[in-house]
Amino acid sequence: MTAPPRRRFRYLAELVLALVLVVAPFTLPYIGGNSDTLSRILIWGLFGLGFDLIFGFTGLLSFGQAAFYGSGGFISSYLLVSHTIPNVFLALLIGLVGAALIGLVVGMLALRRSGIYFAMITVAFGEMFFFLENSALYPWTGGENGLPNVPKPRITLPGFDFSFSDPWAMYGLLAVLFFVGYVIARRIVASPFGHVLTAIRDNPTRAQAVGHRIQRYKLSVFVIAAAYAGLAGGLEGTLQSYMSPEAFTFETSGQLVMQTVIGGAGTLLGPLVGGALWLYLRNELQSALSLGAAWKLVLGVVFVILIMFLRRGIVGGIADLWHMVRPRREDIAPPMLSEAEEEVAATPHRPPPNSERIAIETRGLGKRYGGIVANEDVTFVVHEGEIRGLIGPNGAGKSTFFKMLTGEVRPSSGEIFLFGQDVTKLDVTAVCQLGVAKSYQINQLFPKLTVRRNLMISALSRARGDFRLDLFRHVDSMDELNADIDETLRLLNLTGRADVPVSALAYGEKRRLEIGLALGTDPKILLLDEPLAGMSPQERADTVKLLKQLAIGRTLVVVEHDMDALFDMADRVTVLAQGRILAEGTPAEVQGSAAVQDAYLGGVHT
Amino acid sequence: MLNWGNFVSQLFNGLVSGALLALISAGLTIVYGTLGVLNLAHGALFMLGGYAGFVAYQATGSFVVAVVVGALFVGLVGVVLERLIVRFFYARPEEDQILVTFGVGIVIVELVRYGFGSLSQSVQAPVLVSPIVNLGFAIYPEYRLLAFAIVAVALAILYFVLYRTRLGMVVRAGIEDSQMVDMLGINVQRIFMLVFGIGAMAAGFAGIINAPIISVTPNVGDDILIECFVVVVIGGVGSFPGAIVGGIIAGEIMSLTSMFNPQLSQVMLFAAMTLVLVTRPQGLFGTR
Amino acid sequence: MSYLEVDKLNSYYGDSHILFDVSLRLEQRDVVALLGRNGAGKSTTLKSLMGAVEARTGSITLEGRELRGSKSHTIANAGLQLVPEERRIFGGLSVEENIILAGLTAKPAWPLERVYDMFPRLKERRSSRGTDLSGGEQQMLAIARALTRNPKVLLLDEPFEGLAPIIVRDLLAICERLAKEGQTIIIVEQNLAAALSIASRAYILNNGHVVFDGTSAQLQASPEILSRYVGV
Repeated sequence: MTAPPRRRFRYLAELVLALVLVVAPFTLPYIGGNSDTLSRILIWGLFGLGFDLIFGFTGLLSFGQAAFYGSGGFISSYLLVSHTIPNVFLALLIGLVGAALIGLVVGMLALRRSGIYFAMITVAFGEMFFFLENSALYPWTGGENGLPNVPKPRITLPGFDFSFSDPWAMYGLLAVLFFVGYVIARRIVASPFGHVLTAIRDNPTRAQAVGHRIQRYKLSVFVIAAAYAGLAGGLEGTLQSYMSPEAFTFETSGQLVMQTVIGGAGTLLGPLVGGALWLYLRNELQSALSLGAAWKLVLGVVFVILIMFLRRGIVGGIADLWHMVRPRREDIAPPMLSEAEEEVAATPHRPPPNSERIAIETRGLGKRYGGIVANEDVTFVVHEGEIRGLIGPNGAGKSTFFKMLTGEVRPSSGEIFLFGQDVTKLDVTAVCQLGVAKSYQINQLFPKLTVRRNLMISALSRARGDFRLDLFRHVDSMDELNADIDETLRLLNLTGRADVPVSALAYGEKRRLEIGLALGTDPKILLLDEPLAGMSPQERADTVKLLKQLAIGRTLVVVEHDMDALFDMADRVTVLAQGRILAEGTPAEVQGSAAVQDAYLGGVHT
Repeated sequence: MLNWGNFVSQLFNGLVSGALLALISAGLTIVYGTLGVLNLAHGALFMLGGYAGFVAYQATGSFVVAVVVGALFVGLVGVVLERLIVRFFYARPEEDQILVTFGVGIVIVELVRYGFGSLSQSVQAPVLVSPIVNLGFAIYPEYRLLAFAIVAVALAILYFVLYRTRLGMVVRAGIEDSQMVDMLGINVQRIFMLVFGIGAMAAGFAGIINAPIISVTPNVGDDILIECFVVVVIGGVGSFPGAIVGGIIAGEIMSLTSMFNPQLSQVMLFAAMTLVLVTRPQGLFGTR
Repeated sequence: MSYLEVDKLNSYYGDSHILFDVSLRLEQRDVVALLGRNGAGKSTTLKSLMGAVEARTGSITLEGRELRGSKSHTIANAGLQLVPEERRIFGGLSVEENIILAGLTAKPAWPLERVYDMFPRLKERRSSRGTDLSGGEQQMLAIARALTRNPKVLLLDEPFEGLAPIIVRDLLAICERLAKEGQTIIIVEQNLAAALSIASRAYILNNGHVVFDGTSAQLQASPEILSRYVGV
């Protein structure tokens, strides 16, 4: 198998959507829909496309999207109402850009924190814009009155003049815009950029560690979402000929969140479906069933139940059902290919280490946490091509030492050089980009992605550097990248499991993938923190072979407690005890050292 | 032109609303600190307190009864919510916790709207001596003084419970390391339930105290929730002193700004939050 | 039936199988060492006993009462008490509050005076916050916190790790005193000499399996076992 299988129905979703958009006006009026409801659903759907990119795909739960919706709406509406810009399309575009710029500023502040802080800060910023609209910006926004008389779009060409004053014409325009917005969002999701977003959602720490500048990705997608929101807001103004201050309320942000979750986050179409359900229920429950204001109560209950039991929402639920009826090819694929196993089994020939060139050098490296000394005065040299073992009793400072080498932890004292370059002050992303990768003691995978996609996250950082805004490139078209991933899969003996989500892997397979994530960045220096932990004897033997093979053309530093395995593969071994280097030498020298035995056996001589 | 009497009474207004905010935020922050759950239904519980007090007041005509019944009722609602819904979310991602409490908040608001309608309901302020008191430099509503005193006492009690009782000791230990507390033989689940109840009670209690100042509507909790977010972002999430200092700061900012330009008061609040965010992202009392 | 009987315990971290059919037996007043390399499953065994890691199969009985599957607080109140490797002192609480908290549900708890009698240093620092203690003092507090609960079986996870020799000596003396007073103990320790000086019996774990079960004397007489499973 070379490149990933191209989907037979790659554009199926687009096709179905186009069909639905065309058919809707002819069918839905029979069950209570009308042009206004359908148009509003599309606006919410467009608004939601951007939100789904930041929430469903990147995992950033913003409760302040109303700020951008309102900003876009008021900017374009003001330009039109004040006759500054006569062309509706141009005004909408300016509104979109304005919202994106505001998104940039808000994003730079809000993205300083993540998790609940991010959620609270976005709420607060959303509210700040609401109050600004009502106070300082009153001369332009009309405060509580909003902006009336927003004109409808109009296309005027020589010999051609068309106004979208007919409700169904307006629907048509919105349908086209939504379709374009959807196609763009789909492209983004399928792009390398989009793949990094899902990695950030699943495991931001690891995304950073394999060389992605995640802060810039988050900010970019936040701005994109603001742009979608701004356009949607502008469209609301022109659709209802009135820009309402309600656009800025917390209600708006909340409604967007609820619609997205009800419809299904991470599906792009979820917000549209959720919006349809919301508006339809509001109209139906309010009038037909004469439930009055209770419609929102019903929706609230539905929302809570969905969160509790069907977190993937309506679209996600349908997708799951579909896969139950028609299992994915990968779910029934055979677990292993024996052919690859034999290849790994052949003992590779490794050239001796190059003692001339130094790969890693630390001078007097130390780290203190408060009063506790984790490392002290560690001076350590590893030559290129070497396999170095690093051992020591619990609490000897091995993990902290590794973290300093990768830039995860800033040393308190001393310096680190990689290939002669001073990297003491670089962060983990920069160090990774220089060719250093670590596999973790406890798996740090991207659990919702498939094995192939996991490896792709690593490979993308090597292929594209720490950040690139390649929104419209399709990952499947990156042939060299995919060939490299296939090669890594083969090395790891995971070819037969390539399209299985990580959550379905066996433990040993996850351990190999953990090594693979580090390997995927094609590091010159590979640090392995207990690569054999939790493996069965057979898996250990296979992994040792793999590591020996990986050492060809690379420098390896391995922390491991399986002494037999470690002494078998290491050229030299360094022993840490109480944060300092206790001994260093060939495996035989270290085993013969009385000081080392003492550190391990605590004075009981054998 | 600065009028000193006006300035002092605004300063005092800020103190009253700040203390109220501090109390509500303290409830939010101890729940987050102990359970790790940001309760977006907290504003709805504040609102519910106002309505519970209103009902009790209608039935008995006694403000004291209204306060006691309302606070206990909301505390009970908190306990029920924790048992029925929130406890299933301790192990789930933060976003799910936020979403589910957000949904619960909406359900509470809409239930109240269904029962009482959207119109505002008012609770008569109790009068000890006279509705308006002359402080010498300013004439001031008596109830506001009373409310400040009550809230200050409530905060002191909360402080006492948290820092001077065995329950508080367990809660503080639970904030640090709930699993270790469990391993020392204390049923941490029950403590969680209790903390959620106390947090809800703080919100509900504030809701009734606030009712005579601003009459209650189903949406009265929405703005309060957002102001609480600002308070805890300024003070530091999970910090009890942070909630109090943040609350007073927020109250004073809004009150003093409105002396010059009432419309800008909220905007200034968010500007202050931004300032803290840029200079000290973990908040004044936060430890990262 | 032994006092504490652990039978064929299997524990996992997520989907990683850590303990394989681990069985241990202790009589009352026994002091037993649990040895093995890093990652052998020693800490996991103690955490499984304490209910902090869920053991999926097997059984843990203390005086005939089944404890596997119970919550940690139930297990603690039944009489097992773990002193975790990371000590897990409540840093915001004072030394005395840490001790009182631990004794809240113990029946009967040691009086404070008895705790301070054993750890005079803690009495001096009774009002200091947990975060202000040195490593050795933290370890004393961690042990004191467990003892005040008057446990039937004390589970010590690397009590001497990272401490200066002089402090190790003090702590060791306390452990010896406890053993003499009849406290049942399971101790996990890398400092072999220290562990074997107080333990009468030892188990060795390797990759989650029990590979040795015998007296301390037998173990000290078998250097090949020690170097294969514990040494370098």
